[in-house]
Amino acid sequence: MSVWVFYISTLVIYFGVDLLAGIALNLQFGYAGVVNFGFIVFQAAGAYVAAVVVLGPSGGVASFQQYILGSRLPFPLDLVAAAVAGAVVSLVIGLFSLRRMRRDYQAAVLLIVSLIAIQVVSADVPLFNGSNGLTGVAWPLGQILGVTATGAPLIYAAWTLVIAAIVFVAVYWLSKSPWGRSLRAMRDHEDAASAMGLNITALRLQVFVLGGAIAGLSGGLLVEYIGAWSPGAWGYAETFVIFTAIFVGGVGNYRGVIIGVLLVPVIFLELPRFLPAVGYPGLIDSLQWVTIGLAWMLCLLFRPRGILPEKRMKVTKPGGASVSASAPAEGGA
Amino acid sequence: MSNTGEQLATSDGSQSPIVGAGSGLAPASSSDTGPVLVARDVVVSYGGVHAVDKVSISVARGEIVGIIGPNGAGKSSFLGALGGQVKRSGGEISLQGRDIGSLLPHQRARLGLARTFQTTSEFAKMTVFENLVTSGEGDSGASLKAVVLHPRQTAQREREMTNRAWGILQRFEMEHTVNLYGRELSGGQRRLVEIMRCLMRHPAVLLLDEPMVGVAPHLTGKLIEDLRAIRRDGLGIVIVEHALEVVRQLCDRVVVMAFGKVIAQGSFEEVVQDASVQAAYLS
Repeated sequence: MSVWVFYISTLVIYFGVDLLAGIALNLQFGYAGVVNFGFIVFQAAGAYVAAVVVLGPSGGVASFQQYILGSRLPFPLDLVAAAVAGAVVSLVIGLFSLRRMRRDYQAAVLLIVSLIAIQVVSADVPLFNGSNGLTGVAWPLGQILGVTATGAPLIYAAWTLVIAAIVFVAVYWLSKSPWGRSLRAMRDHEDAASAMGLNITALRLQVFVLGGAIAGLSGGLLVEYIGAWSPGAWGYAETFVIFTAIFVGGVGNYRGVIIGVLLVPVIFLELPRFLPAVGYPGLIDSLQWVTIGLAWMLCLLFRPRGILPEKRMKVTKPGGASVSASAPAEGGA
Repeated sequence: MSNTGEQLATSDGSQSPIVGAGSGLAPASSSDTGPVLVARDVVVSYGGVHAVDKVSISVARGEIVGIIGPNGAGKSSFLGALGGQVKRSGGEISLQGRDIGSLLPHQRARLGLARTFQTTSEFAKMTVFENLVTSGEGDSGASLKAVVLHPRQTAQREREMTNRAWGILQRFEMEHTVNLYGRELSGGQRRLVEIMRCLMRHPAVLLLDEPMVGVAPHLTGKLIEDLRAIRRDGLGIVIVEHALEVVRQLCDRVVVMAFGKVIAQGSFEEVVQDASVQAAYLS
């Protein structure tokens, strides 16, 4: 296998995984207005659970790694478990963090949850092997096909894209449905939406859990490729990478999310990872984060709605009479 | 005219007796002639201060009740208590004979209570058409379960809402704005969108919080005509308004609040002659 095949495949896999994350966060933030600063926790939950249900029973303290829920679930239950883990964790967190309070407070609570979660997982070694994390995670589907994820990265890349495409289509369809419209109404004016009969608490929790499930799935896909997962992989800053992708691509526009994911996590973060090192150690890493911060700031300054802004849903009057979308004369009724 | 609010006048001229403070609600009639909205001894407190202190009103079908009073009188808090946006500390509220006092805002809305807000509340990044259709579907029709498990019924409901939205847009002569975002509308248009959005739900009662704020003076007359037309559909309307000329033209009955209490109620001509009302406005 050529190094280029591995390189390109890995970039495609990261694109698929980050696209899933972008879809989930766009649904939560772009459509529903939930500022989920703890997003990475749900991806991590999916990754950890996918890992332990593949690794087999834990060897306990005598083993080089210890963890809970150790088992050997066959494909596709590994990924189902990852999605369920993301959903369950988001349900638990959502039940206390999504109560009626200002959105900036919610965002702060979720960020704090993210910080607490990483400390707990790092410190509680029996949970997921502490800060050393888990390693040796296999790819259950690959075992059926007789390949490994890193041995056949093209197959894994195709597999990742298939899952991302299915989720993309499903979430896109949901977003354009009356349910998706209700999310946007909630985003624009919660009190008015509630006064129209929309159950805000239920809507917010639904979108939080659905997004959590997709995040969990993305974590499962990632860990089965890279084979390892530790607290170093899910720092709170990772959440802001996905946020930047959405802002750059266009909040509330799924095609924009594709562009944003391609630009930010893939081209800014992953692409240079495989290039020859330049300057002193850590320079490239630092520049990556500087670039991401700059991209977000420049986007907010010069193109606050992103490269592809949310699309206006135009309608035509039954019977074909055209209606204008031009701005009205001030004061006209 | 009653100065104390001990009796509630209804549109047919009958008197709806109010029981003393803290008493239970008399069974309200849900017939076409009975009051559609009854609030008794409603109290709203902010940190021990009674913003609304045992306020009672009754609204009949097709009746427009105006609530006026100086700033800080508790009018918007009272409206919020009726709609469920503001937590009440006491009192009882019934809609079409059903106690709604402990229900959440969306539950009250599903029972027929619609409202607008003091500051315009259009969905800024949704088109006028989406504003209307979302309101029409604002209950089980827009639920995740309905969308996923009952796609045919969802599509059917969507068609019904689409037709209803076009009908309302035509009625209010707003078809030309259908594809405009809420944020692109003028102040008057935003108020109209709010009212149209309420009508999408076939409400029994409409609560309007200062609907004329931001409306150009030459459009006020049109909005008054629109509200009169809505009233003919049999809705009960409660309107909080500072523009007394609008209240005079529009309201069948006026309730005057000051310092959280009802200080007078009756026809517009009666209440403006009331010494306590004049004192409240001058103080």
